[in-house]
Order: sequence, then C-alpha cells, then structure tokens
Amino acid sequence: MKSFLNISCLSFVLAAALSSYAQGFQVNFQGQKQQGMGCAGTALNVDASSLFFNPGASAFANKSEVNLAGTPIFAHVLYTDSATQTSYRTQNPVGTPFSAYGLYRCKKSLEPLSFGLAIYTPFGSTVQWEPNWIGRFALTRLSLKAIFIQPTFSYRISERLGIGAGFVISKGSVNLQKDIPVQDSLGNYGHAELAGKAIGFGYNAGILYHVNERFSMGLTYRSKVSMSVDNGNATFTVPNALSSSFPNGTFSSQLPLPSVLTLGLSFSANKKWTFVLDLNRVNWKVYDTLAFDYAQNTSALSDTKSARNYESIFAFRGGAAYTASEKWTFRFGGGFGFSPVQSGFVTPETPDANRLYGTTGLSFRANEHFSFDASMYVTRMRRSDKNLETQLNGTFTSIALAPGISLNYRW
Amino acid sequence: MNKRHFFLLTVFTALGLLSCEPKVKSPLPSKGELDVSKIIFIGDGQMGGYMDDGLKYQGQQNSLANILAGQFELIGSNPANIPWINSASVGISTTGLAPLHLGYKTDCQGTVSLSPIRDASTGDLSSINQSCYNANNPFTVFGIPGLRLNQFTNASLAGINPFYNRMCASPNTRLLDELLAQNATFFQLYIGLEDVLDYAKSGGTHETLPSDLQFQQNYEQVVQNLTANGAKGALATIPDVSQMPYFTTIPWNGLTLDNSNVGTLNSIYNPLGYYFQLGANPFMMVDSTANMFAVRQIQSTELLLLSLPLDSVKCNQMGVLFPIRDEFVLDADELSVLRGRIQSYNDFIRQMAQTYNLALVNTDQFISNVADGFTYNGVSMSSKFVSGGAYSLDGIYLNPRGNAHFANAFIKAINQKYHSTIPEVNANKFDGVRFP
Repeated sequence: MKSFLNISCLSFVLAAALSSYAQGFQVNFQGQKQQGMGCAGTALNVDASSLFFNPGASAFANKSEVNLAGTPIFAHVLYTDSATQTSYRTQNPVGTPFSAYGLYRCKKSLEPLSFGLAIYTPFGSTVQWEPNWIGRFALTRLSLKAIFIQPTFSYRISERLGIGAGFVISKGSVNLQKDIPVQDSLGNYGHAELAGKAIGFGYNAGILYHVNERFSMGLTYRSKVSMSVDNGNATFTVPNALSSSFPNGTFSSQLPLPSVLTLGLSFSANKKWTFVLDLNRVNWKVYDTLAFDYAQNTSALSDTKSARNYESIFAFRGGAAYTASEKWTFRFGGGFGFSPVQSGFVTPETPDANRLYGTTGLSFRANEHFSFDASMYVTRMRRSDKNLETQLNGTFTSIALAPGISLNYRW
Repeated sequence: MNKRHFFLLTVFTALGLLSCEPKVKSPLPSKGELDVSKIIFIGDGQMGGYMDDGLKYQGQQNSLANILAGQFELIGSNPANIPWINSASVGISTTGLAPLHLGYKTDCQGTVSLSPIRDASTGDLSSINQSCYNANNPFTVFGIPGLRLNQFTNASLAGINPFYNRMCASPNTRLLDELLAQNATFFQLYIGLEDVLDYAKSGGTHETLPSDLQFQQNYEQVVQNLTANGAKGALATIPDVSQMPYFTTIPWNGLTLDNSNVGTLNSIYNPLGYYFQLGANPFMMVDSTANMFAVRQIQSTELLLLSLPLDSVKCNQMGVLFPIRDEFVLDADELSVLRGRIQSYNDFIRQMAQTYNLALVNTDQFISNVADGFTYNGVSMSSKFVSGGAYSLDGIYLNPRGNAHFANAFIKAINQKYHSTIPEVNANKFDGVRFP
C-alpha cells in the first residue's frame, strides 16, 4: 500500500506570484523637462530625451547634444489587513531610474538626418516587505530591472514633418522571493528565491508634425517587449526532510512589457508659455498570465500559471512650461492613469490603483553649452482588494516621491 | 533671480518636503455589547491546547482559549489565567503517553519515512499530578482534556480526570459549580467533541454516544446555569469528526496487488463473491453479517482509522488474509449513526443559542471548510494529514495554526452577535507542523 506519510503527499504548490510591472512599475521618468510637465512632451523637441519620447521630434534638433539624468524614487507602501487590522510596511531601497541620451546632428548634405543612442529604464522596481509581514507567503521581495538600449535615426522630411525610429534591446533581471509555509524543527519557515536574467527586443517609432507656428502634434508607438528568462535559478531553503520535494534548479518564464501608443499635442501661447498634453494607450492586456516552468517538478513543486488578467489602459498627462528668462524656465503638470489591475488581482508586488500625480520642474541654462534641469514627482494612491489567488484581503496605501536632475551639453 | 523666481523655487522645494510615509488609520477595536470584565473558556482539550496527542506548555500557549484571550485583551479584557504545565515538561497524553512530533521511523520492511513519533518513552505524570489551584487567582480557562458533557455535574470527575483534578478548588467540587463560582460576564463553551470521539475512535465498538435526550438535558443545564447571572456567551457546534485526518488518511483501496497476489487472492475470495485486480484494491474487513466467514471488502465510503497497525498491514497480511478488525473501521452503518447523532446534537445547540440569545460558532461548518481546503494569505490549508497545515499529528486536534483559524471563527460569530469589532488573528503567525 501507499505509505500515507510519504512526503510526496505534500502539495505545497509554490503559487508563484511574480507579477511584474503594473502601471505602478511602469517608470515614466525618461526626461527631466517632460517630468516637470506631468511626464508629457511627445509633441515637443525639448532635448536629446526626445529620442525616447518621440524619435520623430529628434529630427528637429538643431545641435548635437548629450543628456544625462537620474531620478531616485522614494516609494513607501503601507498594507493594512482587513481581518486583523494589522499594518505592514515596505522597506524599499531607493529606486534608481536613469537615462543617458546622445544625439548627433548631421551636417551639410546629410543635414535632415540625425542619429542617436538612448539608454533608459522604462520598467523596473524593487519592493521589499518588512520581515514576517502577513503576506510573506505571497511575496517578500521583488526586484525587477530592465535597461533599454535604443539606437535611433531621425529624418526631417520637411520643415514641418519629422520621423524617427529606433531598435530596442532590453536587458533585465528579476529576483523574486517569498517564504514557504513549511517549518523546520526550530520553527523557521522555508524560503524561495527565483532569480534570472532576461532579454527582449522591440522598437520605438514616432512622427512629429508642426501644424503651424504654435501648434504641434506627435504620435509614437513603443512596441511590446517580451522579456524571456531562460535559465533562471530557483533556490529553496526548506527543512532537510523536504529538500527532495523542493529541488534547487532552473526555471524559465516570460514577462511581457506592454506596447505604448501615445498621441501628443503642444501649444505655444506666446514666447513665455508652452502647454503640452499626452494621451497614452498602454496595452497591458498582453499580461494575462504569469507562468513559471521549473526544469525539475515534484509533487510539491509544480509549474505554475497565475492569472493576471491585466486590462489595457489610458493615461492622461499634461503640463506647462514658463520661460521666465534666458536662463530660467519653470514647469508644472500632472497626470492621471487608470490601473490595469482588475479587482481580485491586486498583489503585494503591484499594489496598483488609479493614480493621480503632480509634478513640477525647472531648468537653468548656464551658457550656450551647459544646462541643468530638475523635477519633482509626487503621487499617493490607495487600493482595497481581496486577491483571488492568495486571498490577501486589505488596503494598500502608496506614496512615492521622485526628485530628478539632469545635465545637458550641446554643441 | 527675481521675486517670482524665488516663489516658484519655494513651491518646488516644498513639494519635496511632503511627508513620504503613509499613516496607519485603523479603527480601534470596540467591545460592542460585551462585558469583558470576566471571560471564561470552557471545553475539552481543544479549548485547553491539547494537540499532538498531549498537553504541554507550548500547546497551552497556542490553545483556542489563549489565542482568543489575546484578542479579547484588545478590547480591554484581562489575560487568560491558565493552569500551565511546567514549560520544561515533555507533557502527557490522556493515556499517559508523551506527545508526538514528526520524525523518522523505520517500518517492518526497513523503509525509513517521516512519521509521528513520541517525544519520550512515557508522558510526564508529574506535570499533572499536583494541584495548581490558587484561590486568589482563579483560572479562567477550563479546557480539560477528555471532558464530556455529562461530567459537568459529576462530583467524582477529579477522581477520573487528572487534568481537572489539578485545577479544581477541591476534589469534590463539581465542574459546573467551579464555573459558576467565577461569576463570568462572558463565556465560551465548546463541548461535545469528546462525547462523539470515543465512539468514532473505537470504530463504533464503544457504544458511548449519549442519547439525544441525555445530551439535550445536560447541555441545557450547563447553558441555563452559565447564563443565570445574565452572562453573555458563545456556543459552538460539534464537527463531523469523520472529516478529520484520523479517519481520512488511510485509503480504503490502499491494497496494492501484483499479478501473483491477484491470482492467490482471487482463488481464495472468489467463492465468497469478492474479486481482485492488478493495482489498487479494497482492503478486507471483518463483518459478521457479510457471510459465514464474517469477511468482506471495505466500501469506498467507509473509513479506516489512523490507529490501524500499519506494520501488520505491510508485513503480516492484515487487510488481506486477516481481515481488518471492526475497531479500525467506521463502516457505513456506524458512520450514519455517528453523523446522524452529531447532527441532532447540533440542531439542539443551535436551538440553545437562539433560546438563550447567545453567539453561535458553526464548528461543523469550519471543519468542513478545512476539509474542502481554502487559501489564507497565500497559504493553502486542508485536512490532509501533516501537509494540510491545520491538524496536529494526532489527526484530531488542531495545531496552533488550526486553532488560530478556529479562533477567528469564534471572533466572527461573537462580533456578529454582539456588534463588537474584535480583530481576527493572523493565523499564519502560528505554527503548523514542524519538519526535521
């Protein structure tokens, strides 16, 4: 007969909950001037950061330019469990989105052409929950990094129309950790860590059209990038008696980063005031399942498929710039984005909600070559949900603050 | 830089100084209509922390009563006063054995596997053979292992139950009088499990199920007395014990046969009308009404008990040539008697909760939910033995985490009845089964 105490009867399914990037982890910090205006600027050629915002706009750059920027994110999440009324916090390290742009304006007969290289981090985040928090068996830490490298060319077809496109290579890494509800003889819980490197490919294309002296329109499409993890390492810390049920080994997975379609408008009221508006359509629908395929399965460790069921969303961004003098420009703006996460699917790694945010910014032009930008982004959001998979039932409150600076050199 | 620039710069930096941490905004727990000045807990070993077939300090810490008391403290109640067993003691079972833990055991075939084994060769009798009663500091937790309903008014209970003997005011005091002397303002009563367990664990060989009438009289007597001073309380129904791992772990068709065994058994049993095939087959069990040999195949709805000597099954043809004895099986008739009786007891408990206007904890529903399985904050719970996470190693009493879930069932029922807002406990903070 079957030995009823055989550990093979253990069925701790590692219901892997690696959700990746929600709107919450879509990082919209790719240009300080745009950040100052609610992260909008698709219909403007502001500086070399347009290589990201609209490669078509880069066609209108008069000079070559290098632009380096960083925007540390200070994000805090508080989770209050509805049944126990206990609260837990994240201990996130400071997020470090950065961007580096180089744009070369061709001369003479090649004058309508410009070439650029853009390196930026449009997705990524690290969520670290406090030790022993109530959701420890769903997630203790998730770290996602994705660096996009985008060689780009832009072509000015006429004084009014510019086009541009870039090829995107995305290199990334993922590290997901959670506790496993098995205890050793001292009462310590098991732990799982899934870590891997990912790679993906895509493109970024855009058009800028100056309707007239004051009014411009931009349209961009940043493609979906499917990040595949092929040889990730799955490491399990469990009691000795269970080590054969949780074999260390490799896993594979796929994380789709959604495409973004943006329509942008800009309006220069006079010499001093410029207004911008961007409408984003983010195709989060691609993220409907998160699957982990373990190289070695056991009765306790089966491949997992977790429903994510994200919805495609719209986001609205807008802002204004006020050119106070030759040297100083001030900006402000804000935005609103719908959450792609439906009710029943909110997770501790993406405690996402409809999001309203405000931004402000400034620029200082030191001389013909050097200029500096700074920006500040603030958001607060709250979401109550009961997750269908983990039954985590409570309220997430998030506050994020992101001050950024950049250094520009033109020649 | 002019004034306007200065103003804009100020706005810019002010945004940066905004508070960055979300504030906790939880409502304070409230006691609603409850009077928490004196809360007592009444029941058997489940209430008192009996688990892994034994009572010891660590179990008492994680008893249903102590977990509940911890939450009542949040609405102003005093901590529970528990007849603690010495924390250094190994503890003791109701039959004098040491409690169980999960370890490695070698079976008759020489196979080593994980199995519940005793913490010591015998239980620690000294842990319970001395009185710990203190008139100045009366106990509030009466979770007495083995306690049955008809023993509340038994003046000689101390003589037969050492767990009661050590905590009572004097050996002749009836339990009911001990309870009434506490003059409680709120009580929680979970009783009746032991009344049905004896029958169930004996495979229906001990005819000890109380009659409906006996049960009703005894139950109402207790409730009537406890509420006579106007105390509020919570009553808990009795679970269908046949859903517990003690009765559901060993499969009815666990007899695995190869070709030669199939032939042998068929030649023996075919004349009686029983047939065997390659692979999984039902065990053979004793049934005096089956035929002149008093043997038949067990049915899929019948249950084998965890007390079944597995070495005899594996090595000595038990369940094959030697049919499994009645004491290891709950057959269809016995199950129907058992479940029918539990149902009628529960009907009465529900009626009592209505009559006396008390909170009602549907233990039967709770134990069914565990049997069906559920997920709680990322942890799957079920009534699977060892791996299910809710039951202790005796397969009957809940482990600390199971108790925490059970306590939450109490809290929900009490909050609903008395409009209190006692928070539930984070059940995942409590131990499941520990592995070597």
